[in-house]
Amino acid sequence: MPSLAELSLEKTVDQVLEKNRSQLLESLKLSFSESQQQLSDSLPELEKEYERILSEGQKEAEKIEKQIVGSSDLEVRNKALLLVEEHTSMVFEKAKEQIKNTKRDSNYSNLISTLLTEATEALGTSEITVFTNSTDKDIVQSAISKISGADLSSEQIDCMGGVKITSKDGSMTFDNTIDARFERMKPLIRKNIAAKFSLGN
Amino acid sequence: MTTQGGVQYSKIAEIKGPLVIVDGVENAAFDELVEIETNEGEKRLGKVLEVGNGKAIVQVFEGTTGLSVSGTNAKFVGKVMEMPVSEEVLGRVFDGLGRPKDGLPDPVASSFLDINGAPMNPEQREYPKDFIQTGVSVIDGMLTLVRGQKLPIFSGSGMSHNILAAQIARQASVVGTSDEFAVVFAAIGVQFSEAEYFRRSLEESGALKRSVLFLNLADDPAIERIITPRVALTVAEYLAYDLGMHVLVILTDMTNYAEALREISAAREEVPGRKGYPGYLYTDLSTIYERAGRLRGKNGSVTQMPILSMPSDDITHPIPDLTGYITEGQIVLGRDLFRQGVYPPVNILMSLSRIMKDGIGEGRTRADHQEISNQNYDAYSRAQEVRALAGIVGKAGLTEVDLNYMNFGDEFENKFLTQAIDENRTIEETLGLQWNTISNLPKNELTKVKDKFIEQYYKE
Repeated sequence: MPSLAELSLEKTVDQVLEKNRSQLLESLKLSFSESQQQLSDSLPELEKEYERILSEGQKEAEKIEKQIVGSSDLEVRNKALLLVEEHTSMVFEKAKEQIKNTKRDSNYSNLISTLLTEATEALGTSEITVFTNSTDKDIVQSAISKISGADLSSEQIDCMGGVKITSKDGSMTFDNTIDARFERMKPLIRKNIAAKFSLGN
Repeated sequence: MTTQGGVQYSKIAEIKGPLVIVDGVENAAFDELVEIETNEGEKRLGKVLEVGNGKAIVQVFEGTTGLSVSGTNAKFVGKVMEMPVSEEVLGRVFDGLGRPKDGLPDPVASSFLDINGAPMNPEQREYPKDFIQTGVSVIDGMLTLVRGQKLPIFSGSGMSHNILAAQIARQASVVGTSDEFAVVFAAIGVQFSEAEYFRRSLEESGALKRSVLFLNLADDPAIERIITPRVALTVAEYLAYDLGMHVLVILTDMTNYAEALREISAAREEVPGRKGYPGYLYTDLSTIYERAGRLRGKNGSVTQMPILSMPSDDITHPIPDLTGYITEGQIVLGRDLFRQGVYPPVNILMSLSRIMKDGIGEGRTRADHQEISNQNYDAYSRAQEVRALAGIVGKAGLTEVDLNYMNFGDEFENKFLTQAIDENRTIEETLGLQWNTISNLPKNELTKVKDKFIEQYYKE
């Protein structure tokens, strides 16, 4: 038979155990409800995070799309530009060839006279030395006979046609050869040729 | 202008610094383009600065190194310097004189425009009032850029102005309209690595397609820098007024431009003004800055963002000083913020966008924009005062409200101001961040914002 003291101890142990059990249960319940609360609280956070990741992904995708489209557009345009340039140069070469072989007729003589007058006016003096190529020598000689003070140089220049004049003191020069005029007009002519290839206006 | 362009003179009287003085010139005109031909047949470009007494003073863009009095010829072309323009210039890279630098041929021109531009009829100017989104929070939120505005960035040597410039060039756009947008970027006297950074940055972001780049490098002749902003603005004007685009022109670094101007002025033996810059620096800068604007009846606009580095961070230096007189506000980069690692290090208390108020608000950005921006200005200013006070009495001596302001200041710099270099924030995001930071303060401290906005946007 247990003694009174033993019974009392057992009762106290039971009481402590009971108290701990109820505390433990209470704490478990609280933890359960807290974790449920946390779970429901984190849902909107999760949704927000999900939205953020989605929108960042979207932004990144748009950025990459812009990059790819941009660089491909440029690449295509640049290739077209090079192609047009190549063909424009071919047109120029062909044109130069034709100009070089132009018949030296009366029209051409008139052209030389015009070029000479223009050049003399630009220098503002008729005391000039005229340079030309071997083909145009005779035409130029006859044109300068009308300008007093003008001499034809024995030195010949390499050009398609036209004249280059220098003041007698050598301080001023005006290049009115067809080559020089061609160079001056090149950007405009180029624009017109490119327009034929449906590029530029 | 000569009646017939193309006369070549061979009497060179003197070569002085970047100038060539040609003798016996009768018919030259001010600003006329000149081709200088060296003994070896090399050609350089220049323009007439002065004519008279049979002499012409020619400024050679590519410098006079290697030229000699004998054997050098000067051909007066009979026209001013022109830039060939067409829609094709978009996506192209040019040097400081407008010559292709990307290995492609010259653009096929729709027209050839005088690089000095045509002065805008003041009566025809339209007031700037539409928002440009740069994607940079501090600019969009507090120093809003408006179409047709000229808003410079004042920076200092070594600071991140070039990174900011490239970010703006990549990200800038017009919102709420289908109008086309383009960026003209002129780098004046920048290092090769910086020029490469600009080019690569635009190329890799896909923004090169809508951009035009003019790159004048640090080792290019200084005189070329006089031309670079002008060719850039000529292209911008064409895109804006002929093609109806909204164009943002970024000019960096205008200090290098002013220094080139000083070099020419010294060579011409002109009476120097402040710090040796010519007395006409203000007038000259205005011929560049005043090319920004909008014109009545034209759809496009030219907006300018010149960037200049202030020598010794001195805002009273003649270049920022005179620039500030002409432009409509300024964005100032702060050395302290830069040292703290804040990017972009914009010191908002020294910065201002004068015409921001007309480009923001309901129908343009958002109804609360002006008020939340004012509130942030106010609070940041107070935060700076509190920081100074804390430096004396210590944090322990501060009140609860003061501490709130300190927290606001930190949050403002770390969350609103600080931004990644590839982070493109929409105006909604920017305004949201402004509300986030201001929500560090109690509601009763928000005295610049209407209650209805506090109700709507304040974060509890």
